[in-house]
Amino acid sequence: MITRTTFSRTMLVGVLGAVAVLVGPVDAHKTPIKPDQLKAYQDAFMEEVRKGDLLFHGDEAMAKQMGVVLSNTGMACAMCHPQTADTHPHTFPKFQAQMAKFATLRDMINWCIEKPNQGEKIDDGSDAMKALEAYIYWSNSGSVLMPGKF
Amino acid sequence: MSELEQDRREIATVLNQPGVRPDPKLRITRRTLIHRSCLVGAATVAETFAWWPLMNTLDIAHAAEPPFKFAWISDTHLYPRSLNTRFVEKTVRAAKEVQAMSPPADFLIFGGDLAQLGKIEELELGNEILKEVKIRKVFIPGEHDWYLDMGKKWGELFGPANWTFDHKGVRFIGLDTVSRAPDYWSMKKMSPEERMAHMSVLDGTVAGPWAGVGREQLDWLQKTLSTWDRNRPVVIFSHNPLYEYYPPWNFWVRDWREVNDVLKPYTKVTNIHGHVHQVLYNEIGSVRSIGMLATAWPWPYAPEGVPKLTKPMIRVDPGDIYDGVGWGKVDATAKDEVDVEYVMWGRKEVFAQSPEDASKSIPEVLRPRIADTIWPY
Repeated sequence: MITRTTFSRTMLVGVLGAVAVLVGPVDAHKTPIKPDQLKAYQDAFMEEVRKGDLLFHGDEAMAKQMGVVLSNTGMACAMCHPQTADTHPHTFPKFQAQMAKFATLRDMINWCIEKPNQGEKIDDGSDAMKALEAYIYWSNSGSVLMPGKF
Repeated sequence: MSELEQDRREIATVLNQPGVRPDPKLRITRRTLIHRSCLVGAATVAETFAWWPLMNTLDIAHAAEPPFKFAWISDTHLYPRSLNTRFVEKTVRAAKEVQAMSPPADFLIFGGDLAQLGKIEELELGNEILKEVKIRKVFIPGEHDWYLDMGKKWGELFGPANWTFDHKGVRFIGLDTVSRAPDYWSMKKMSPEERMAHMSVLDGTVAGPWAGVGREQLDWLQKTLSTWDRNRPVVIFSHNPLYEYYPPWNFWVRDWREVNDVLKPYTKVTNIHGHVHQVLYNEIGSVRSIGMLATAWPWPYAPEGVPKLTKPMIRVDPGDIYDGVGWGKVDATAKDEVDVEYVMWGRKEVFAQSPEDASKSIPEVLRPRIADTIWPY
């Protein structure tokens, strides 16, 4: 037996489906990807990589623009990690000996900002954190995921 | 095949000729000095031993001459004292340790990168700190010392960038491997500060292949060596290694082929260099090459090109500002055996004891940076 409630839900789904088909896709993910879209997505990513690269290399103007103080010693991330060497983003999350805890890459970024660089910790979800993450991951493209690897 | 791989094959073809190696009588062994303070605790250590761990001391002897030692300090990368006290503290400590050596070293070689940004106050700070060392001092420049004023202040403080002298049967040569960068600044109308900023970034892509010896200095080197017996010891100091290790970080000189041509006839050549901030050993043709530690901070090994003869140093604890930095010792006996020692503050073991002790145990694929080539950089 079909109850009134079940009938109403079925009707609602049917109506929404019809609208989606008739009105057309409002969500880009439901359309075939076009080259200009791909370029826009890639450009958006590479802009974050560029910002992260500058932050990573101690660019004062970019740090100021993003409202962060990553170092108070003149040290920059790249001074210990040229080309992001030894950052090993592909090994996180893992137990990080320096912090004596299970840590994410973001935890490690903040540890380096606060300890060697003596800078000011940044928010996990901040634009600066995302940019640093984007640069580090991009620079390590091709490295094989090894989560937990010491 | 990548361009780098092609280069490496060319190096192997040119330099690693069958049967060509450094004189086997001048054998290199490696050992580490266990710092006594590590074993009994720093608080109970006598002053003499407390001074030990930062110096690079080198003992060289030739059969007919008495043994002697000298000290090496390099890569202090000083900022003004008001900005960074850690680098200052470590340089001060190194200078005191050298001065406290007993018996005293015959001389101190400073291997370049005294300053971080080549500022007058940075170079003068370094000069002041090193006045603590009363023995003879000789200096070669690093790129950080040079590209703000193109070596003007360096020359005023420390004299010519290359030089030679003989000491107890050894011909010592200081080379300038930093001052001949291709001009990357004029076309882009860079200020001196911008020029220096690009030069000061190890993985920067704008300054390009700046490390080189140069034709006229090669001619000078050839002339200098022409009056020296081919079987007597030669020690060449340079900021950069005299072979190709990793060009993107200028862990090389771009004219390594010509350098090799000049040195080929000499059988006991040791090149001691800075810049790499890491334990490094290689043999190139008849020349052995030893990389020294920095006092400021350690570099990771490059993603490619680490010489197979290098026994890797231990993975460094970034939470300890004294880890991964320190001193090395090359110690030759009258039998022409040479011991190489590296000592780091607080480290009993300098070399990796297991694969997990070495940073290269984690495979990584790295890309060069890009932001410094995107206008406005």
